[in-house]
Amino acid sequence: MTVTELSNDRATPQRRSAADWLHHLLSMPAGAILLVFLVVQLACIIAGLMFPDDFRYLSSANMGIMMRSVPVLGCLALGAGILMVAGEFDLSIGSVYTFTAIIMAILVGNGVDAFMAAPVGVLIGAAIGLINGALTLRFNLPSFIVTLGGLLFWRGAVLLINGAVQVRFDPNPVFDAMFAGTLFGLNAAFVWFIGLCVIFYLLLHRHRFGNHVFATGGNRSAATAIGVNTARIKLIAFAIAGGMAAFAGILATTRVGSVQPGQGAGLELQAIAACVIGGLSLRGGRGSVLGIFLGVMLIFTITDVLLLMRAPGFYLDMFIATLIVVASIFNHGLDRRGGAL
Amino acid sequence: MSLLALHNVNKSFGPLKALNDLSFEIGENEVVGLLGDNGAGKSTTVNLISGIHQPTSGHISVDGKKQSFTCRRDSAEAGVETIYQNTALVDSLSISRNIFLGREIANRFGMLDLKAMRDISMQVLESAVHISGIDSPDKLVGDLSGGQKQAVAIARAVFFKRRVLLLDEPTSALSVRETEALLGQVLKLKAEGVSSVLVTHNLYHAYQVCDRFVIMSHGTKVLDVRKADTTIEELTQHVVLT
Repeated sequence: MTVTELSNDRATPQRRSAADWLHHLLSMPAGAILLVFLVVQLACIIAGLMFPDDFRYLSSANMGIMMRSVPVLGCLALGAGILMVAGEFDLSIGSVYTFTAIIMAILVGNGVDAFMAAPVGVLIGAAIGLINGALTLRFNLPSFIVTLGGLLFWRGAVLLINGAVQVRFDPNPVFDAMFAGTLFGLNAAFVWFIGLCVIFYLLLHRHRFGNHVFATGGNRSAATAIGVNTARIKLIAFAIAGGMAAFAGILATTRVGSVQPGQGAGLELQAIAACVIGGLSLRGGRGSVLGIFLGVMLIFTITDVLLLMRAPGFYLDMFIATLIVVASIFNHGLDRRGGAL
Repeated sequence: MSLLALHNVNKSFGPLKALNDLSFEIGENEVVGLLGDNGAGKSTTVNLISGIHQPTSGHISVDGKKQSFTCRRDSAEAGVETIYQNTALVDSLSISRNIFLGREIANRFGMLDLKAMRDISMQVLESAVHISGIDSPDKLVGDLSGGQKQAVAIARAVFFKRRVLLLDEPTSALSVRETEALLGQVLKLKAEGVSSVLVTHNLYHAYQVCDRFVIMSHGTKVLDVRKADTTIEELTQHVVLT
């Protein structure tokens, strides 16, 4: 197919055949993962309709679990994702998530209003992100190493500050309703997540900043040559990753009503996994917010289906692992085919 | 009057003297071939003119006025655009996002006007740069061939009204047909008032389009001659034997 024909297809979508449509979908960023997501959802919905008693996928209880579980990983993945597009990693977000939540819970326990304590938590998260970024850029180190240090450091800091005990979190009722209540039948945390997805979409795909993030991750020397301040872009992305980790901590803590010192362990890897499943490149410069969203949803859906089928819990990781590798092979293959288009 | 000129420029990297008392100029509506073997100092000269390096002594002038370029942006503002082989484009961004990278059309909140960027890109690609295969500004630059990528870089320079294009080894990665198209492009731009410097060691490509040749050897100028006053044999001799 020549390029001319392809662009004519775009001009007249109604005349496009099913094969062309599929081709177009697959050539879109995150198109492949969208297709997988739709197929999985369709299969689950059909199974849910056929076996409403054995496979309660469509039950309101299951919908509620989905809306409560997805936002925490989702917010972590949005922050980790924007940083990955800029060409860096943050392995410390799981620890930062716990650390800032503990700080917030202690502040509230000492009589500080939750509406004050929560922004303090987000600011601390962003500041930790900035420190990670500054160390990475100043000493020209791989962010993988710097934030591996961060992961251990802030995990230790949690124990230093509060020991290995849980902290209760008792915010005022308004705060509780805003972050753990329901809005039009939707879980508040889920509404926050969807809202943040929209904001991140606008930021990454429709804003000047996003263009510079893609350029920084895609070809740093070119971006620098053209006048983009790539160090500043990376620093901001690190701060966003840290801030979003803290925000995820607010959502989780408000829902549960307490903070466990060990609760963030492994979440950073799940967040990066969601991004990889969603088609973000580990080398930076590629990805989409839709992809991150779908990656998070797929991780949840696979877990959910296995739980509904009463698979023993320790199998879950094996399935997630398979999903990550298969999705990467799929994305990688499409990348290369896209190049030959 | 010369558009761009180097005046007695020296450049040392520690004990290594890369450029030695180099002076030459580029006139309005002129295509100059900057020739020389590897190590002659061509790349250093390009980096000086584009602002990546600064001269140890001597200076650069634009329109007769002394300039000091401390970064690429300075040279761009003076109207000089350097087009490297591949380095200046982001593969994972579309053509229109590349053309406007760093100079996006956006409202005061920074939200991009994607439609305007797309329309202008299409217009520039259609009117200023004719290289086959580019007919959608939404194509990713990574999916383009070497010649098409350079066409995008040239389109960017044209749109932002550059007056001198510095093309660093532009033909070394191109197919025969793409080379022809690129050289044709250089001539077309000359007709529109854009001067070019073709930095290359391919004498035949240079001979096709250049009005004047500056040959460098060991960091200094060994020949500065108009096309009418020389032959390709003479040029070859100077490049090989000096």
